[in-house]
Amino acid sequence: MSFKLGVDVGGTFIDLALADQTGQCRLYKTLSDPEDLAGALLAGLEVAARDQDLSLLQLLSQTELIVHGSTVATNTLLTKTGAKTALVTTQGFRDVLNMRRGLRANLYDPKQSPPVPLIPRHLIFPVEERMDSEGKELLEIREDALRRFSASVIASGAESIAVGFLFAFLNSSHERMVGANLNKLKPQLHVSLSSEVLPEVRLYERVSTTAVNAYVTPILARYLESLERRVKQAGFAGKLLIMQSNGGVASCDVGKRLGVGSILSGPAAGPVAAIRYGCIYGLANVISLDMGGTSLDVCLIKNGEIEITKEMEIDGYRIALPLVAVHTIGAGGGSIVKVDARGLLQVGPESAGSSPGPVCYGRGGKQPTITDADLLIGYLDPNRFWGGRLELDIAAAQDAFRRQVAERLGMDVVRAAYGAFQVVNANMVDAIREVSVRRGHDPRHFLLVAAGGAGPIHASAIARELEIPLVLIPRDASVMCAVGQLLSDLRHDFVRSYLTAVDKVDPDRVHGLFAEMSAQAIETLRSEGIAQENINLLLSADVRYLGQFTEVEVPLENDVLTPEGIERLLSEFHRRHEALNGYRMASAPVEIVNLRLVGTGIVAKPRFASDKSRGGQLSAALIGRREAIFEGGRTEVPVYDGHQLPAPCHINGPAIVEQSTTSVVVEPGYQLTCDDFGNYLLYREKLTLEDILAGLRESAK
Amino acid sequence: MTQVDSLDPILLTVITNRLEGITREMGAGMLRSSRSPIFAENRDFVTAIFDRELRMVAQTAYIPVLMGASPFAVRAISDRFAEDVHEGDVMILNDPYHGNNHAPDITVVKPVFFAGRLQFWVLTKGHHADIGGGGTAGRNPDAKTAWEEGLRIPPARLYQSGKYNRDLWEMILLNVRLPILVEGDLQCQVGACNVGERALWELLRHYGCAEVDAAMEEILRRSEAQMRQRIREIPEGVYRAERPLEHVLDKHSGKRPTIRLQIEIHGNEMVFDFAGTDAQIPVYYNSSFPNTVSSCYIGLFSTIASDIKVNHGSMRPLLVDAPLGSLVNPREGAPTTQCTVATCGTIVEAIWLALAQAVPHSVQAGWARSSAGAGAALNSRSGRYGAFILHFTKGGGGATFGFDGWSHISPVSSMGGSRVPDPELHELTFPHRILRYEYQNDSAGAGKWRGGYGACVWLQFNDATTTLSIQPGSCAEETAPFGLAGGRAAPPGKIKMRSASGEVIEVSEAGLYHPRQGDVAEFYSAGGGGCGDPYERPVDAVFDDVVAGLVSVENAARQYGVVIDPKTVTVDLEASQKMRQRRALVDV
Repeated sequence: MSFKLGVDVGGTFIDLALADQTGQCRLYKTLSDPEDLAGALLAGLEVAARDQDLSLLQLLSQTELIVHGSTVATNTLLTKTGAKTALVTTQGFRDVLNMRRGLRANLYDPKQSPPVPLIPRHLIFPVEERMDSEGKELLEIREDALRRFSASVIASGAESIAVGFLFAFLNSSHERMVGANLNKLKPQLHVSLSSEVLPEVRLYERVSTTAVNAYVTPILARYLESLERRVKQAGFAGKLLIMQSNGGVASCDVGKRLGVGSILSGPAAGPVAAIRYGCIYGLANVISLDMGGTSLDVCLIKNGEIEITKEMEIDGYRIALPLVAVHTIGAGGGSIVKVDARGLLQVGPESAGSSPGPVCYGRGGKQPTITDADLLIGYLDPNRFWGGRLELDIAAAQDAFRRQVAERLGMDVVRAAYGAFQVVNANMVDAIREVSVRRGHDPRHFLLVAAGGAGPIHASAIARELEIPLVLIPRDASVMCAVGQLLSDLRHDFVRSYLTAVDKVDPDRVHGLFAEMSAQAIETLRSEGIAQENINLLLSADVRYLGQFTEVEVPLENDVLTPEGIERLLSEFHRRHEALNGYRMASAPVEIVNLRLVGTGIVAKPRFASDKSRGGQLSAALIGRREAIFEGGRTEVPVYDGHQLPAPCHINGPAIVEQSTTSVVVEPGYQLTCDDFGNYLLYREKLTLEDILAGLRESAK
Repeated sequence: MTQVDSLDPILLTVITNRLEGITREMGAGMLRSSRSPIFAENRDFVTAIFDRELRMVAQTAYIPVLMGASPFAVRAISDRFAEDVHEGDVMILNDPYHGNNHAPDITVVKPVFFAGRLQFWVLTKGHHADIGGGGTAGRNPDAKTAWEEGLRIPPARLYQSGKYNRDLWEMILLNVRLPILVEGDLQCQVGACNVGERALWELLRHYGCAEVDAAMEEILRRSEAQMRQRIREIPEGVYRAERPLEHVLDKHSGKRPTIRLQIEIHGNEMVFDFAGTDAQIPVYYNSSFPNTVSSCYIGLFSTIASDIKVNHGSMRPLLVDAPLGSLVNPREGAPTTQCTVATCGTIVEAIWLALAQAVPHSVQAGWARSSAGAGAALNSRSGRYGAFILHFTKGGGGATFGFDGWSHISPVSSMGGSRVPDPELHELTFPHRILRYEYQNDSAGAGKWRGGYGACVWLQFNDATTTLSIQPGSCAEETAPFGLAGGRAAPPGKIKMRSASGEVIEVSEAGLYHPRQGDVAEFYSAGGGGCGDPYERPVDAVFDDVVAGLVSVENAARQYGVVIDPKTVTVDLEASQKMRQRRALVDV
């Protein structure tokens, strides 16, 4: 027997997806321990092992692959618990990192401070050196200067060093010289070179990304080392891979060197899983929605490709690496409901998180949250929450809503709670519009895959608002990311700046740059154990009209940019530009800015196990009836136990289907079916699933 | 009449947030598709929605000074076309004497019809790469009249009932130096209006006109009530202040044109009265009336109302009285290009100084005025000229009670909304080399809370194709960012032109320059003013700035009474205490 494991290590829960040889997947959710994540993970593995009637040693020695997603890098950045970091930069440009391009988000507020610098100025060391805008050396680094500042960098006591010189993306020799010299003097120093982390034009973006890398990597590396050691001691002899922010996975060694690549390690797996759920129905246009305790992550997938962004900022720190374009807003089960100074009901972005949590958890939470609202309007069962392991205090939730929301709005508690439900839905709708309508996609042509603890409660109301025709709720929606870890391929992104007008492209230079990147990609993937035939290389170029400031990424069939190749590139560029921005300029000059290469190593994936044997009667799954609030008012609805539902089955809304960690709410006017894989499908009543699927496939053409 | 009483409070939140979301949607399209660094990199534009009664109901202000003036533009366009407004029309305007701030900012608006009835106006306004006239990149320091500054476009139609008005487009593009950039940015503004129109149709279809009208009515009512409440909390009275412009009228007397302001608070209303302000001048500092009003909003919102939404309701309680023919309400024909930055900054300073007498804890010390250059140069790669604004020289923000000022954030007209260009992209695009771009030490005004730091920027010219319009700001003692409540003013900034042969000229007046190969322009922007007695600044905070290399050992002792041994870089606590006490005794 050989197993594959997907694990998602968060601050509140450890989610596990365990796939056996046949592709059957078992899912587990256990409590985490922020003080000892590796220990909590092993405890979770114990639970999985027991369920398989195995010892931990037996389970791990039979496991060939662990794909690991974690919030370690993110939390290091959010809680400012990174390594003591210094920055070495070009003399004359000492403050580019902390100047932050002269921006602040909140314009009028006089009482605000800038984000705390990751690297304070006294740990920023300017060096006399300079390259020009063609990468030619203008000023060399003198031997004595190198000695002098290296000594001060070491004396500063920094354990991690970022090096970011002007135009290092064109000529990295100075960065490499400085890095090598520092490592010679102190081998245990972690050194991040901007020419390795992000060899791309734009100084602030490159240096900031490198600084974040230097700041989080030593912490992530320590965690990964301890994790590797402990799973090995526990009997694991397989391969441990790390989920990356670009939607792929990479080896542990990459994680230990490029920690910034793991900054979205957790949420990046959701869209990967969503793609596979879409595949079941032959749908390649999917919006994934993951609503947890504190936040909502939304991501758009077009033609089976996850949208990637380079515009991310996390807690005010700019990261310009290609990351899965997960749009995150403060809308989760723990989001706080309040009445603002204008007398408007608002939800979030503040969250009660898991501690103290919603008022109804009875763990000290005082401010009403979305989970409290969902309870008060009858969507959650106070006695069956988390399989009955946590009894929800409905009276406390009522009291908090009455005093803090309902009385201020002059309405009754239930109306206020339903109002909070509507407002958070409106915020979620806006988040989906952000990734769809605002980027030129019509949500009516997408499948919505809704996951996370709170996602299934809100999904059908949101689908109705946006006229999304079909919602899929995965069988165990609350661990979708762990499933996604198991489905991810290895992926490495490479980029070379090559700024040139399309009519002046030097095909040999292009060939050379792509050859360099593919050699790097193949070497990395081979070292991760990927066979040559499972390596895929995707080439693209960032292209724009001369004078534009935002590029359009255009895929390339090969690295041959002869006049015919350029012709193809141009026609694809004009087409994409028009689709994105609404116009094209057929006669305007066009230039290339960057060349990109994505190296993918295809890994074998577990299949979704079909479960046609689940017979039985729908009535056997009916566990009762209760009152719930919908737009039309108070209604008595049937409540089903999701684990007992036969497949296929059919339920008309309004109805509630209870799972161990969440409820699926079927709005009036909607119907729910359960498919062969145990997933739920929600769509408008009076329509057939076949018609809806046909419509979605048609619109994708 | 809409029925406000029956309005659902939840629906109110949803519609309000949606309207604001639509203005962001409009802005996102502009950022994505612009070809001018002034839109795409600096974000020098605004988007807004007005109801059919021309009341601003939602907006996104990347550059606040453009926002407060936009109601004047919509009104001018609506007045001009009156009943002759049709679905598919798109209107343009840039003339400061027809409701605009100044000529380089072009306003594009579109009436939005639903079910055959005019429901909304959507607006975008942004700074274009060129607007013709003398000068460079829309700036002509030599202009004595509005006609020398550039093309004046009255309310006119870019599209008439959906039909492209080719005559007007060609007329405009023939009169600007960078027609490709201007045409591109106009297209991108029209596109943003279309995006807004589509989203508003969807909103109206979904909720119905009556509900949306009622929601807008209610949100304006609430914003107005909030603002009136804030005004009521200001002690009643009359508060006066005056501030000089950078420009020197007469070299002998050193007299500078001055803005004089009297703020009157009566109950829940306030009047900003500019009586006594100097007369308009034949130099580009005159502030068009819309720009003056907009500057007043910045002064007000940044002081007592940063958490209140900027809309017609919250703007209503403020009345502005500006004498015709003065610097803040010039007669038609006076040049105005610098009003959005230089004069706006001066007006806001006067407002803050006046309000400091009433609500001292809410006010900020002076921010550095914009001390920068803009121009055009040949891009050798494209073989074409391009335009740039040197935002690298952003100065410091002023401190306030409880908070240090932000570094490298000014001027106040953008409040930190305009983005600095990337130095690598600048060198890749223009024949320049940036030799220095970093904080300038000892540039901040000292205080218990110090001002933010200004920047030092050295720009070298690699060929002779650049035309540069230089504009000093906060470069004199009288115009340096002021301190508050015992905080010190920031030292004045400087601009120098250093020729390849080593000759140095200090630039104290706005002017056009044609640097030669090897010349270097050196900009030292001022920091922000300090707040509170510097001797009360915690020793650790002063020490941190010394260790960071931002405060010299001399200034630590002289301004803050903190004695530091330069050899060991440690604080001599005893000597510091003595020094601080001695000053306290002298003060008594």
